[in-house]
Amino acid sequence: MLYLQLLINGIQTGAMYALIAAGFSLIFGMTRVFHAAHGATFTLAGFVFYECYSLLQWGLLPALLAAAIASGLFGVLLNRWVYVVIQRHEGSFFTVFAASFGAAIVVENLVAIVFGKGLVTVSSDWSRSVEMIPGLFVAPMALVAVVVAVVCFAVLHYVFTHTNLGVALRALGENPTLVDVYGLNQKTLAKYAFLIGSVLVVPAAVLTAMTSGISASMGHHIMMISIAATIVGGVGSLRGAAMAGLLFGLAENLCLAFVQPQWSEAVTFVILFLFIVFRPGGFYGRAIVS
Amino acid sequence: MLAYIQNIIVLFSINAILALTLNFIMGYAGIFSLAHAIFFGVGAYTAAYMALNVTDSLLICMLAAMVVSALLSVVLALPALRVRGEYFVAASLGLQIIGVTIFSEWKSVTGGLGGMIGIPPPVLFGYTFSSTGQFVGLSLAVLLGVLVILALLVRGSFGRSLMAIRDSESAAQAYGKYVNAVKTLSVAVSAGLAALAGGLYAFYMSFVNVEAFTLNMSILLMAMVIIGGTGTLLGPIVGAAIVMALPAALTYLPFIPSSELGTIQQIIYGLAMVILMMFRPGGLVGGRGKEKSA
Repeated sequence: MLYLQLLINGIQTGAMYALIAAGFSLIFGMTRVFHAAHGATFTLAGFVFYECYSLLQWGLLPALLAAAIASGLFGVLLNRWVYVVIQRHEGSFFTVFAASFGAAIVVENLVAIVFGKGLVTVSSDWSRSVEMIPGLFVAPMALVAVVVAVVCFAVLHYVFTHTNLGVALRALGENPTLVDVYGLNQKTLAKYAFLIGSVLVVPAAVLTAMTSGISASMGHHIMMISIAATIVGGVGSLRGAAMAGLLFGLAENLCLAFVQPQWSEAVTFVILFLFIVFRPGGFYGRAIVS
Repeated sequence: MLAYIQNIIVLFSINAILALTLNFIMGYAGIFSLAHAIFFGVGAYTAAYMALNVTDSLLICMLAAMVVSALLSVVLALPALRVRGEYFVAASLGLQIIGVTIFSEWKSVTGGLGGMIGIPPPVLFGYTFSSTGQFVGLSLAVLLGVLVILALLVRGSFGRSLMAIRDSESAAQAYGKYVNAVKTLSVAVSAGLAALAGGLYAFYMSFVNVEAFTLNMSILLMAMVIIGGTGTLLGPIVGAAIVMALPAALTYLPFIPSSELGTIQQIIYGLAMVILMMFRPGGLVGGRGKEKSA
């Protein structure tokens, strides 16, 4: 029964990680920007939702909208005001990474000043666990999480295979110069990649806030999960990132049956190490060995 | 007041050693490690363990710290040999997290969250270092030693091989450089010398626990290197001085509540990183238009 419980928790966490990792993978795969501030987007979305829903009592939809606008704006503006400026004169991986990391530190600490360093939870009727069968506790939120993740991925899949924007974005990831040749604008496309990628964290942030709660320092963990999942899944592969996110969610929870909780983060990175050493290309896709 | 300044000098030396060694792999070898605090920690724990259980000789403790840390760094170098850049950042992040978990959970050796207390003052050739004043001399001497070693390495053929690999791995290989050996060695040197700082820290504080070796410390070290300037010898020292002077300077600003000091400090580092990367990617000391490939 313990395993079943952990499995269900794992799927719930995994669905969240999959969404977050897909956002990061999308941005990194399409624009080659190592967006370390992705974790900060998550924190921002979660706290904006908390402010609008719990404190200002705006209701669910307006609060969701506010969180989406905040995270989308954050991603797009960070790209426009920081990454683009850097790429104008050199844009090596390291410079962009350092700037992004700096931005993440700023956001995390600003959130800590405004909302405090503690954990905040948005309570709702759906986050209360009910006993499904003796010994198995499941919150309706777990189902919501899975449904939301599946819907998001279905929409993403449609966008990337059936719309001009999606096809152009994939082209940007494959060969940026060729995108120029075909008369498309790289900068506009990059903007959309940041917009979509950043908004993708909103459902994950909101659902996390409603189940386990969010805190200002969570951004680092989210950033690590998304980087790790992107690598394990294979750079540039949304499907891979989603699968790897699910894998990490499951691993993080299932390992609780064998080791103490403080080791669960270490388990994630053991998986990452094994992948880097034995299969640097990830599930799908290719390794960047420059 | 004298004790205060002496304390600052010792801590500055320790941080400067760490920043210098981090810069050695970041600036010269192009390996971006977010796990430098782990080698600092391994050095500190090894030195403390030796001092408590085996001998209080400074030389032996420091040597043990360097050897253990350098050996461990090969574990870190293993993924680094296969991949570069973004992959390595993730791998080192992972090492940092696993390292902190081990530091706080391996209770029989590291003392868990409580740490190790009562580390005896070190003895060098019959001379005992116990007062802060004596530590000022010791730490400055070590800092100078590390600086000289790194300067020699960077100026020599080893440093040129490193920079060649940083700029183009395949070109370096085509010229007959043993890319993997040079990379592994550079990581080992960096980790070994960082362990010296760890040993100094353990003896100076006569107390170690996991607090000093967390991800925040790694980030702080990275900030020192970036703000000062990667790929220069002076940069990390300047960076360490600035990053260390900031908290002291902030306490003179009356309008900042003392409870928010740490947060404000981090915001300033973060902003400094963003702004420097935008307008002066070479750091304060480095040149403006310095091209670096990654």
